[in-house]
Amino acid sequence: MNEQITATLAQLLEPRLSDAALDFWQKAQREVAAGAERSRFSALISMASRHAKRVPLEPTKTELAACQKAVTGWSPQRWNLLELLRVALICTREDVTEPNFAEDFESLFVYADEGETCALYRSLALLPAAERFVWRAGEGCRSNMLSVFSAIALDNPYPVKHFDDTGWNQLVIKALFLELPLHRVIGLDERRSAELTRIALDLADERRSAGRAIAHDLWLCLDANHAERSRALAEQLWPEATPLTRSAIVLGLARAAQHTEVQRLAETESDIDVAHAIDAALGGKFDQQQFARLITNKSETEL
Amino acid sequence: MRFFDPHIHMASRTTDDYQNMAAAGIRAIIEPAFWMGQPRTNVGSFIDYFSSLVGWERFRASQFGIAHYCAIGINSKEANNEGLAREALEILPNFALKEGVVAIGEIGYDEITPAEEFIYQAQLKFAVEHDMVVMVHSPHRDKKNGIIRSIDVALEMGVPPHKLVIDHNNEETVQSVLDAGAWAAFTIYPNTKMGSERMVEIVRQYGPERIIVDSSADWGVSDPLSVPKTAHLMKERGIDPVAIELTCWGNALEAYAQSGQIDVDELMQDAVIDQSLSYSDNSVLRGQQPRIDEPVKN
Repeated sequence: MNEQITATLAQLLEPRLSDAALDFWQKAQREVAAGAERSRFSALISMASRHAKRVPLEPTKTELAACQKAVTGWSPQRWNLLELLRVALICTREDVTEPNFAEDFESLFVYADEGETCALYRSLALLPAAERFVWRAGEGCRSNMLSVFSAIALDNPYPVKHFDDTGWNQLVIKALFLELPLHRVIGLDERRSAELTRIALDLADERRSAGRAIAHDLWLCLDANHAERSRALAEQLWPEATPLTRSAIVLGLARAAQHTEVQRLAETESDIDVAHAIDAALGGKFDQQQFARLITNKSETEL
Repeated sequence: MRFFDPHIHMASRTTDDYQNMAAAGIRAIIEPAFWMGQPRTNVGSFIDYFSSLVGWERFRASQFGIAHYCAIGINSKEANNEGLAREALEILPNFALKEGVVAIGEIGYDEITPAEEFIYQAQLKFAVEHDMVVMVHSPHRDKKNGIIRSIDVALEMGVPPHKLVIDHNNEETVQSVLDAGAWAAFTIYPNTKMGSERMVEIVRQYGPERIIVDSSADWGVSDPLSVPKTAHLMKERGIDPVAIELTCWGNALEAYAQSGQIDVDELMQDAVIDQSLSYSDNSVLRGQQPRIDEPVKN
């Protein structure tokens, strides 16, 4: 296991544990490092819930920076303390690269409860040779439990790195269906495609035919392919769109490289917020973070 | 009023039930492991069932603002398939120590066979080793004898009486259970077991101490609203509000909170959906106002 990762985990974890929990962690750590049996390892992961509760971690900026430095894209911002303790226990295994670990790890998934399942999916991005677990990660995306799906799909750098195109597109579109915030799908900026754009535009057609609203986040899926369809969708929606929707459309069109269209829309725009979105888009600011700031109205720290 | 139904098999119930339960004030439930209504054929059936109790079902309940706890155990009926029951015992520790598992249960006797005895004792041993509460199912036939025996064996194995809940009691059995120092639970069924009227009289006669009301609603004819309905009847018939609160909320909470798996302070507040879901405000139900006009998204 990468020492920078284990050190970062310990630095996040230890100051937040009660004395009793710290004692559990230290003993368990020694036991796991010494090579605990599968059944014992599994019991330790379960019993972690007796020592750490599901309280939000609320990491500081410095801590988040350390995580980002240890693993690109890793943000435990929305983890809870119990998840962190479980992930730390997993990363304590000395045999993480060996088949024995892979078998034990899969066995944990088979017997996991909801909280454990989320922790296990969150651990994926930290493990070496993580491509071994890509089937398992796909199973997480098939879950009907919002919490489980979110643990793999949001704030997790694993899928963008390891999923094939089918798995990736399914993840993005499922997140859209579930009305989850796509700006938290790590790597969406870099991994858009003609196929993802087509699926998103087809979904937009489906929603319009059914007389349903189109989620703002759909505009995050688009790239420069199928530009004619993207422009047509924008034109259909624009006349009745709220200022917020118009901002989303503007950013979407910019992501679809339709700057001329954005400029054309700018000519008749009177709303100050939309005008701001247009300026940003024309200035090259239309990534996920920008989208989150403008569309969800959240400050930098909340994102 | 706020209610706790400490024995209900939600895996067999519909979302309509969850909506009605939340609307009737049921804030928390315990789902003990149960049999399927037909025999299981392999250990995988236990694995998937136990897994659903600590996974999907808990999530489903949370969508309606109901806190879901469970008890893990091998049912007495299932103990009689000896080979399979032993395999199930092997995998039991994989689930019994999970978050939100408040007891080993429901276990006990059905026909009072040696096979049932073996599985009952093995599970009592596990409970004692892990300092867990035990929820005991009492048999339909030869009930009084079955209850006395299940208490004796549990105490002999080292289960402290205050961690022992004996369920499905009636007028004939309640005194023995209370005398032993255990908790006496009553299942309110529309036709069999106890009716709400009889329950009112039991609380009148014995008082509220260590008496618990539950529904045991399952795949058969049963009523998931038994606890609130019985509480309302108690109120109508002049039972002290404190006694109603204890038998329909406080006692079960005290008994099962001994597991350390129930955050009592959190239960006292109005339900809020898991924080990990809160970013999707418009797609999940809020406990205070269960939305009954739209299906839960999945």
